[in-house]
Amino acid sequence: MFEPIKENWRILLLLVVVVAASVALFAPQFGPETAPGEDASEAQQGITNLQYGLDLAGGTRVRAPLLGHTATGVDFGGDQPGDVAQAVANELDGVPVRDVGANAEEGAVEVTDQSVSESEFRSAMDASGYAYEDVRSGVTQETRDVAENVIQGKINEAGLSGGSVQQVQSISGEYFILVEVPGQDRSDVIDLLEERGTVQIDIAYPTDNGTAVQEAVLTQGDFDEIGTAAESERGPGAYVPVTVRNTADDGAQSPAHEFQQAVADRGFPSAYSSNAAQCDYSENPDDVSNPCLLLTVDGEVVNSFGMDSDLAASMGRGTWADTGNFRLTTGEFESAQTISINLRAGALPAELDISGQGTSSTISATQGENFRTYSLITGILAVFAVAGMVFLRYREPRVALPMIVTALAEVYALLGFAALVSYPIELAVIAGFIAVVGTGVDDLVIIADEVMSEGEVNSRTVFDSRFRRAFWVIGAAAATTIIAMSPLMVLSLGDLSGFAIFTILGVLIGVLITRPAYGDILRRLLTVR
Amino acid sequence: MVAIEVPEINYTEYSNRQLAAIPLAVLVLALAIIGGWYLVTGAPANLGLEFTGGVELRIADDGDGNMEQRIETAFDQEPDSVRSIPADDVYVVTFRSAEGDPDGLAGDLEAQADAADLSTEAIDQVSPSFASDTARTAVFGVGLAFLGMSVLVFALFRTFVPSIAVVVSAFSDLVIPVAVMNLLGIQMTLGTIAALLMIIGYSVDSDILLNNAVLRRTGEFYESVSGATRTGVTMTLTSMAAMIVMAIVASVFGIDLLRNIGIILAVGLCADLMNTYLLNVSLLRWYKFEGVNR
Repeated sequence: MFEPIKENWRILLLLVVVVAASVALFAPQFGPETAPGEDASEAQQGITNLQYGLDLAGGTRVRAPLLGHTATGVDFGGDQPGDVAQAVANELDGVPVRDVGANAEEGAVEVTDQSVSESEFRSAMDASGYAYEDVRSGVTQETRDVAENVIQGKINEAGLSGGSVQQVQSISGEYFILVEVPGQDRSDVIDLLEERGTVQIDIAYPTDNGTAVQEAVLTQGDFDEIGTAAESERGPGAYVPVTVRNTADDGAQSPAHEFQQAVADRGFPSAYSSNAAQCDYSENPDDVSNPCLLLTVDGEVVNSFGMDSDLAASMGRGTWADTGNFRLTTGEFESAQTISINLRAGALPAELDISGQGTSSTISATQGENFRTYSLITGILAVFAVAGMVFLRYREPRVALPMIVTALAEVYALLGFAALVSYPIELAVIAGFIAVVGTGVDDLVIIADEVMSEGEVNSRTVFDSRFRRAFWVIGAAAATTIIAMSPLMVLSLGDLSGFAIFTILGVLIGVLITRPAYGDILRRLLTVR
Repeated sequence: MVAIEVPEINYTEYSNRQLAAIPLAVLVLALAIIGGWYLVTGAPANLGLEFTGGVELRIADDGDGNMEQRIETAFDQEPDSVRSIPADDVYVVTFRSAEGDPDGLAGDLEAQADAADLSTEAIDQVSPSFASDTARTAVFGVGLAFLGMSVLVFALFRTFVPSIAVVVSAFSDLVIPVAVMNLLGIQMTLGTIAALLMIIGYSVDSDILLNNAVLRRTGEFYESVSGATRTGVTMTLTSMAAMIVMAIVASVFGIDLLRNIGIILAVGLCADLMNTYLLNVSLLRWYKFEGVNR
């Protein structure tokens, strides 16, 4: 009873592949991953499990390098990275040390302040006395990894589901951050990315010579818990509830205690002894009458506020730091939201250069949907064209029909594969499918012609020897296609890697599964009389 | 219904020189066109947005009419091209990036379009430095693919003349579509690069088939050639049919990527018919009847 299985195993294998592809395409278990707060049916686009890329679903893609200069092959001479960064920062005028990073593992020192030119950085490196090999543009691997995580965090915090971030390298060795966010328009995504999102609290206080500012009394790392933005219960405005960390390592002062100390030192408790006292920073920033807290994002003051008298009193008594609860208030709900996102995701370690060296593309959801329909029509018509040619040439449905069916099975298997690995279908991938139908049918033509040449096929041996001869050509042709397409697969050339991946996969499925199966089908049709 | 009868060329009537003359002349002409293009425009082809940098917007046709004029007046900067795609009710507006000031162009244009009540369906922005990088990558990729193919062909046949015949016709198959693109005003985009790589894969098929029939089979030369021609021409014609349909349908719908791939492959396959059955056959015949005996 195993004889029929053994004889027709190639056809059976093709059937198994087709069934497996159907399962991957339609079974809910293989459905796309759901974003938080989204159920399975929402995540699914259409009746299949196929995922569509940006150009077929709408969305925004941004690719941009991180701005900075990096000195490579730096000899740290046993110094701590922090000291090296400090030493280099000291040689650069007006560059805060947080914009200079040193990484001992990579042997690299970077500056992420845009205003520093390459030659300025070179001379700062020379002046700092640390030997280095070269200076390149861009930032260190570590910074790129941090940036990737921060951007992913920002996208998640902003509730943009399905967004992805990755690093890609161009042929000249430059690294780019590639961000894809489905369903969002350009300005939203770029606004989110362009903000470095450094949030900090400064204190402005009156002196005899006008306003003085104590910077960075609270910075991103000082917060323990960051709540979501909320509308203020009393009056207009919104706030982000935060808890300042009140623990610290080995005897050092905790951020909450430091903050409490700074608030007390700058005279908040006495200035805000009654609730009538107001912060007047927004009216006369150069000459405030009461101390004010300044909420700054990327160095710009977004809000200034005084302090509730109870809170000021508890800080003066030194009891506030036990809990560390605090509200960052803002004028508008949106800016409270942005601050919350930035605090949670953290600040970008370097700026993304979107307008200068970046590329971006946006497609609206309706346009994407149109493209989906149109490319489906294009694909179907292309298959009809191939089918028409094949019928015209052979005029024998016994030969031509299995040819078309086999070629379509190949595409079907590829679609199943795409659903299985959740590879987003893009226009380029569809072009790959059409190319696969083209090469697939070519090879089937070779098999059919070879098998039917030189007279009748009357025995299995004759068939097999001719089939094997045909297969040499098919194998050689497949190998050239794979070699020709493989550079595209790895080079960073837009969406074309999808085209290459699916063409190569199609050729492989063709040579290993569908073309042998077509041979078996043809043999049955030609030898069984 | 008409059946496709693959024409039989009576090769015996023509000398090798006569056969090879036509494809070689076309190749030289194509190279001259590309060379001339390079001298006049500074680039071997009409480079598209991806290779020059700039901004492309797809603007929806809201049906109020006068779209072209409204688009012309909406933007501060003169668009480099405005293309209408009736099937999709959109206009494609292209701006080459102004020298030295690509910053924020996409954002400005988007705002200007909004201000003029034009709704943008899609925006593509490519910075010049990224574009030149892409161009280098593309040339490198095509070169690498061609080299890989050549090495593979030599490894498969292990004889010089038949292998070089395949490589030369593949080269010609690449060059002719580029020249035709220049003449038709089609821009070089990432899609056309993919198509050129695809030509390397596709066009070699029929050459391999032919070489295999002549070199690895026993049998008379002309008989082998005519058998391989029958199969090879069918293959090429089916692929061409698919590509021509794809090019036509995609250009109606304004899907540039698919249209470009379709056109380039159709032209390339056409060139391949000529190169395989004139150039490659003549080289093979020379090799079979004269070259081997040397």
